[in-house]
Amino acid sequence: MYTKIFKDGLSRRRFLETAASAAALAGINTRVLAADKVIKIGFLAPLTGPVAAWGKPGLDGCQIWAEQVNAAGGIKLADGDYMVEFVGYDNEYDPAKARTGATKLIREEDVKFVMMLGGDTWPGAQPVADRTGMLFSTLLPSDLAPDTETLLAPAEVHPIYNVTGVEWLAENKPDLKTAVICAQDDALGLPSVATYLAAFEAAGIEMLEEPLLFDPATTDFAPVVTKLIAKDPQIVCLDTCYSDYVHPIAEQLFQQGYKGQIISCTADFYDQMIDKTSVEFMEGFIFQFPDFDDPALNDEAINFKNPNGFFAEYTKRHPGEWGAVSWEYASIMDLWKDGAEKAGTAEPAAVLAAMKDGGRGLHAFGTADWWGEDLFGIDNALVGNWPVVVIENGKARIKAFKSIPEWYAKHGDLLKKHMAAYGQMWNQRG
Amino acid sequence: MVELLAQTCLNALYAASYMSLVAVGLVLIFGVMGVINFAHGELFMLGAYAVVALYADLQLPFLFAVSAGLVFVGVVGLGMERALFRPLRNNPLGGLVASIGFLMILQALAVMGFGVRMEHVPPVTQEVITFSEKVHLAMPRLFVIIAAVILLTALWAFLTKTRFGWALRASAQDPEAAALQGISINQTSRIAMFIGAGLAGVAGALTAPLVSVNPHMGHSVIVTAFIVIIVGGVGSLEGAVVAAVAYSLVHTFVTTFYDGVIADIVGLSLMLLVLIVKPTGLFGTADRA
Repeated sequence: MYTKIFKDGLSRRRFLETAASAAALAGINTRVLAADKVIKIGFLAPLTGPVAAWGKPGLDGCQIWAEQVNAAGGIKLADGDYMVEFVGYDNEYDPAKARTGATKLIREEDVKFVMMLGGDTWPGAQPVADRTGMLFSTLLPSDLAPDTETLLAPAEVHPIYNVTGVEWLAENKPDLKTAVICAQDDALGLPSVATYLAAFEAAGIEMLEEPLLFDPATTDFAPVVTKLIAKDPQIVCLDTCYSDYVHPIAEQLFQQGYKGQIISCTADFYDQMIDKTSVEFMEGFIFQFPDFDDPALNDEAINFKNPNGFFAEYTKRHPGEWGAVSWEYASIMDLWKDGAEKAGTAEPAAVLAAMKDGGRGLHAFGTADWWGEDLFGIDNALVGNWPVVVIENGKARIKAFKSIPEWYAKHGDLLKKHMAAYGQMWNQRG
Repeated sequence: MVELLAQTCLNALYAASYMSLVAVGLVLIFGVMGVINFAHGELFMLGAYAVVALYADLQLPFLFAVSAGLVFVGVVGLGMERALFRPLRNNPLGGLVASIGFLMILQALAVMGFGVRMEHVPPVTQEVITFSEKVHLAMPRLFVIIAAVILLTALWAFLTKTRFGWALRASAQDPEAAALQGISINQTSRIAMFIGAGLAGVAGALTAPLVSVNPHMGHSVIVTAFIVIIVGGVGSLEGAVVAAVAYSLVHTFVTTFYDGVIADIVGLSLMLLVLIVKPTGLFGTADRA
């Protein structure tokens, strides 16, 4: 940041020299030489605007992924090795811009695969996907429907993996029996509410109140928190919220004297939450997205390549910016690369068939199944184990990997019941 | 239940305080200049970023950062008056359109200068006043309440006890008559813009450690501010304060006892009800409405 740079006494001349050198070095490291054969990958996500935190860090992660893959020789297809290059398009989380971006990436840039955050922007891109047969990915499997067979959710099954956090909580803190939920009232928050309700019901945890929904335009969370803790819940669930909400809600819980358990889908930039509350207050905070320097990720079952090294490189380049999506788009590229190399081509239909071949895939956290017909009408979500992360002494640590399919085999009907109640089944979405 | 009511009242008092600062600034600009300043939310945002730069990054004292935020945003307001609003004074919609364009510029500048991500502002203090087991007031929220009372009292004194204040009120009541009395419309516009923008800036600066500071944070603030000034009566400073208190009470109580989404609907319904029953707003007059 500007002020941080100049605080350290950097002169204007020195700043310009450094910037020029960095730009030149970056060019040497990342630029694909003109003689190389290149495969372009589209990155169609919010890079600016309120939802950029779930787009931009993913593109940063992909750039590191591309450099590592290109340095190792690129993508090895039947007709030779190809370098990989990402083409970003900022859809600003706007469906109309997503549609324009999808068209531009496919027609003008000739990309072979398009990665999206999904959610509100998917309906914009969907007609383009249907018309062109392009292979797309989303981070939000609630976008999946049988109408579009070329949309995959290979990284995360949001919000279904949230059941693993509640299951772990019930196993490890069985005395906690009452809970409340607050959630943003939108396409991100509502399916997550249904999932948490199912998970709490499966765990025998009583809901003290109906889920408290708030407008995404909310800025002052004091009234929300006052209502949340009015009945002394043992567990406060923050659902799936943008970090712009998770942080002030956690701060309000601290300021209003809450001392119970907190569970949340994400806790991006949790060090800042600790700064605003205390290490003691945040102790035991449960969420679902690990730091990739976690020793548990060095297990043989983990398929994400060199997670500790990736984390070190990412945090070196983008200090303090590691978040939930920093690794996810890169992990999708691992799957895509394996599929393309298996198919011997980057053509979307062939890669899709290769990725889904045998009904199993190498998910970041272990081998997983292509799954989802029950909930999404199509088996295009890659589902297996998911980590449960707990803050201990100010640091996020993976406490367990829990199986989503195993939970679903036992409690799937509960999940469908709550999803249907919130109008979130694939055939209920308009 | 008594504790819940007490905590809700404290929450409402805080919300009313910062919203009063924003709404009074907006009303002052409209009253004197006849301009609906759509960029007012972005002036609030600039105040918050002043605290990010000076307090969070350069680690200067919070009070200094807030004061600098007030002055900086006030000066930006002066620039807006000179470059945007004065040339378009005779164009009824010109100021409105120019302010919409300017808000986009301010948002883009914030993105370029600070990035798209929420900024981290360390807490000024973690002290909390505990009235009972379930009634708490964090010190930073108390700071906002105290600052709002002091600033609004000072503004009231300025408007009622000083020659500049009288000139401002005269310009607001009838600009042509004021000009005939030798009052400089340019001068009163500058003063109104500096104070109005400065109030938005100081509200953003004071609340920066309590909210998510990002380039788009002004949007929700301006929507609420418009509801408040319509309910209070466009052009009425007293109305803005009363409506900010009323709106904050209603919104906070409905959020606490029902739902945040219903609270928004009730807030908008309140505005519609006032428009139907008294189209000029609670304290508005037909002249300005």
